[in-house]
Amino acid sequence: MRNLSLVAALALIVAFFGIASPEFLSPRNLSMLAIELSITATLALGMLLVLLPGQIDLSVGSGVGLLGGIASVLVFQRGWPAPAAMGASLALGVLLWHLMGRLIVGQNLPPFIVTLGGLMVFKGLFWLIIGNSTIPVVPGGAHNLYSLLTTYYLPPAAGWVLAAAAGSALAWTRVRERSRRRRLNLELESGELFFLKLFVTLQSLLLFVALMNQFRGIPLPVLLLAATALAVGVLTRRTVFGRHLYAVGGNVEAAFISGVPVERTIVRAFTVMGAVVAATGFLQTAYAGASTTTVGELMELDAVAACVIGGTSLRGGRGSAAGVLIGALIMAALLNGMTLLAVSPEFKFIARGCVLTLAVWMDSRFHAPARHIS
Amino acid sequence: MPADALLRARSLTKRFGGVTALDRVDFDLYEGEIHALCGENGAGKSTLIKLLSGIHPFGSYEGGFELRGRPARFESVADAEAAGIAVIHQELALVGEMSVAENLFLGSEPVRGAFIDYERMLGQSRELLRRFGLAIDPSLPAGSLGMGQRQLVEILKALRKNSGILILDEPTAALSEAESRRLLSILRDLRAQGISCVYISHRLEEIFALADRITVLRDGSTVATLRREDADPKLLIRHMVGREISELFPRRRAARGEAVLSVSHLSVEPEGGGRTLEDISFELHAGEVLGIGGLMGAGRSELLMHLFGAWGRRRSGSVRLAGAELACGGPEESIRRGLALVSEDRRRHGLFRGQDIRFNLSLSSLERFSRRGLVDSTVEGAAALSMFSSLKVRASGIGVDVGGLSGGNQQKVVLGKALMTDPRVVLLDEPTRGIDVGSKQEVYAFINDLTDSGRGVLLVSSELGELMGMSDRILMMRDGHAVGEFSPESDARALIAAALGHA
Repeated sequence: MRNLSLVAALALIVAFFGIASPEFLSPRNLSMLAIELSITATLALGMLLVLLPGQIDLSVGSGVGLLGGIASVLVFQRGWPAPAAMGASLALGVLLWHLMGRLIVGQNLPPFIVTLGGLMVFKGLFWLIIGNSTIPVVPGGAHNLYSLLTTYYLPPAAGWVLAAAAGSALAWTRVRERSRRRRLNLELESGELFFLKLFVTLQSLLLFVALMNQFRGIPLPVLLLAATALAVGVLTRRTVFGRHLYAVGGNVEAAFISGVPVERTIVRAFTVMGAVVAATGFLQTAYAGASTTTVGELMELDAVAACVIGGTSLRGGRGSAAGVLIGALIMAALLNGMTLLAVSPEFKFIARGCVLTLAVWMDSRFHAPARHIS
Repeated sequence: MPADALLRARSLTKRFGGVTALDRVDFDLYEGEIHALCGENGAGKSTLIKLLSGIHPFGSYEGGFELRGRPARFESVADAEAAGIAVIHQELALVGEMSVAENLFLGSEPVRGAFIDYERMLGQSRELLRRFGLAIDPSLPAGSLGMGQRQLVEILKALRKNSGILILDEPTAALSEAESRRLLSILRDLRAQGISCVYISHRLEEIFALADRITVLRDGSTVATLRREDADPKLLIRHMVGREISELFPRRRAARGEAVLSVSHLSVEPEGGGRTLEDISFELHAGEVLGIGGLMGAGRSELLMHLFGAWGRRRSGSVRLAGAELACGGPEESIRRGLALVSEDRRRHGLFRGQDIRFNLSLSSLERFSRRGLVDSTVEGAAALSMFSSLKVRASGIGVDVGGLSGGNQQKVVLGKALMTDPRVVLLDEPTRGIDVGSKQEVYAFINDLTDSGRGVLLVSSELGELMGMSDRILMMRDGHAVGEFSPESDARALIAAALGHA
């Protein structure tokens, strides 16, 4: 239900910009929007994993700059092959975030403070490592895996094949789950609704591929986002770890008494976040073409905003990958549309802030959960 | 005694849904009187207080109050406070980080212009403390005081607001012997100054040391109001326990198997509050319900929480589960070893509101429904559904948010979560507290099913009837000690005497 109202809000935003600036709905712009969305949404999906158990991570923006910067330095200054450089940086991200998680639960420190410290420390390290200069992701004019991250497009034919494969895989798992539920006598939604939902999903998939193919094909970041979204969706909805995330955020004392490994769950959420930050760092740096001192700045706030707009509770225990995707899409569409309308940066910030506040206000007004009596 | 009562309650009736918590209760309080209220848990004492203090507003109940002969309507806590009624709750309402003086003046800080006049606040606090002979520095943070002193600060806070009527709900439950005596002597001083007091306590010796009159409540009705001279502990206990109640508790004896849980000479130090446990030994057999009785604060919940690995540091003694040593290794390990706990505070320790019944039921047993960390939601759903129907949870399906369920149904869900781990020993802490009669019966039926299938049950209950009706043996606790084992056929008075320390 709440996701439906978000989709309606998104439709309004798209309609507004579509009318105000016809360029907004052009295949070229939609392709760019898709790339921008992929970068913020990937980070926001990681943030969801941290917010669900009632934590927060303010260090991810600096982390994006730092981990992207380390990979750039290894490639451009040390001549490492791109995959090795990115692998090393990813491993470092996982380690750093694991340690932050351990610090938070082990010493019982507030995550807000620890990650605020992380924000500053990582920013300083980042500037040290790139020497306050601009480090390209690839030596002049060439290509490597790093630069291709945001410049590669799947050829149209491959896009169609992929869409067909993904579509049939989705249909197959949905139908199989439905038949198992029927065998086990579990509640089922009506057949019409089931097929309608499946149909709409498959239609949107095809529409998306058709649109992207009108420009250059599906951008690689979109595939990475799809993989991240699928992973986070499965993680939150289908795994023991995911259940534990909701339990810790929903009622930490009850979670402990119920045998949930509270500390391990929180550390693990941060550890996964480390990998997500590294991936976002590579995407964002590649999109900018080089590491510069401003890469990643304020991205932590965009990630939190996307989560919150998508219905994630900052107190933990509530939120979904689908909601975060829509929240990120709203933020990305807003930003992209305002850029097309040549809105000045000052007013862009003001508009984003207002939309964030409005979204949270609507959420607390219309979707208020049962009041918690403490 | 003056002819006109200061406060008079007339025929108070309060219903919660279908449950009648108070049934035409009359109660009066004279000026300068200490009037004790006693009765078992669930007798209606707290409900009466909540009516008096405006927590349940005028209009949500039948009957009414008169204050100095005039009808009084307490529509909010502020109304009752304005009428000079102050409640000292069991959970104290002091802000630990603020100083004693700041706490005393919380909400009515003296100001000079736009700023708080700290000098005046400190001065007045000092004078107030001196007037009642308390050697407390008002500039200390309230959190640094002991429980007893905090209680006294709370009382001063009420007196500062010129309250003529103090209501104290088990004020000595968390106090030491010396602190309790101190409190009683201050209450006597207050009485001499004309302040009236409603005093709730389970401790009979305090009641006899303090009260002018005693009212006994049972099942929401006034049983008797006695002058202290006309009462004795035996008479009070008889009034409190009342009728034969065993019929309401359909205990079905099961075949008694071998010992599943053996506790010997267990002593536990508190960790983060609670009662020290001293030298506790007992055995629980398969198919048996061992009841654990005692007053609030006797250490019953602490014992259960410790056995479950969630509280306290073990100083000595051993716990064996099905023959193998069980260290205090945390709930996760305890569950894996076959223990299950249903905690007394369902909202705090049991429920995940905002999540559906399925999530709540399966949380402790997810490993059973998953392979390599991936939950098979269809198998999980089927298991949750079967637990849902065998517990007779009244909801339209397992997709319903538990926050909207009634207390009884929430309790069944928490019970279901514990049972889905397929435990050998089930620890139940006040499993029927605050739930309706129908749900209670279903919980009892479930306890019978547990022992029929060869599980052992530890049952903590403050309701004497339930304890005697549902247990095969009863262990009484007082002040962290086990003080005796009783058969359910014992005289209820003997149990109460053990709990109170009145041999």
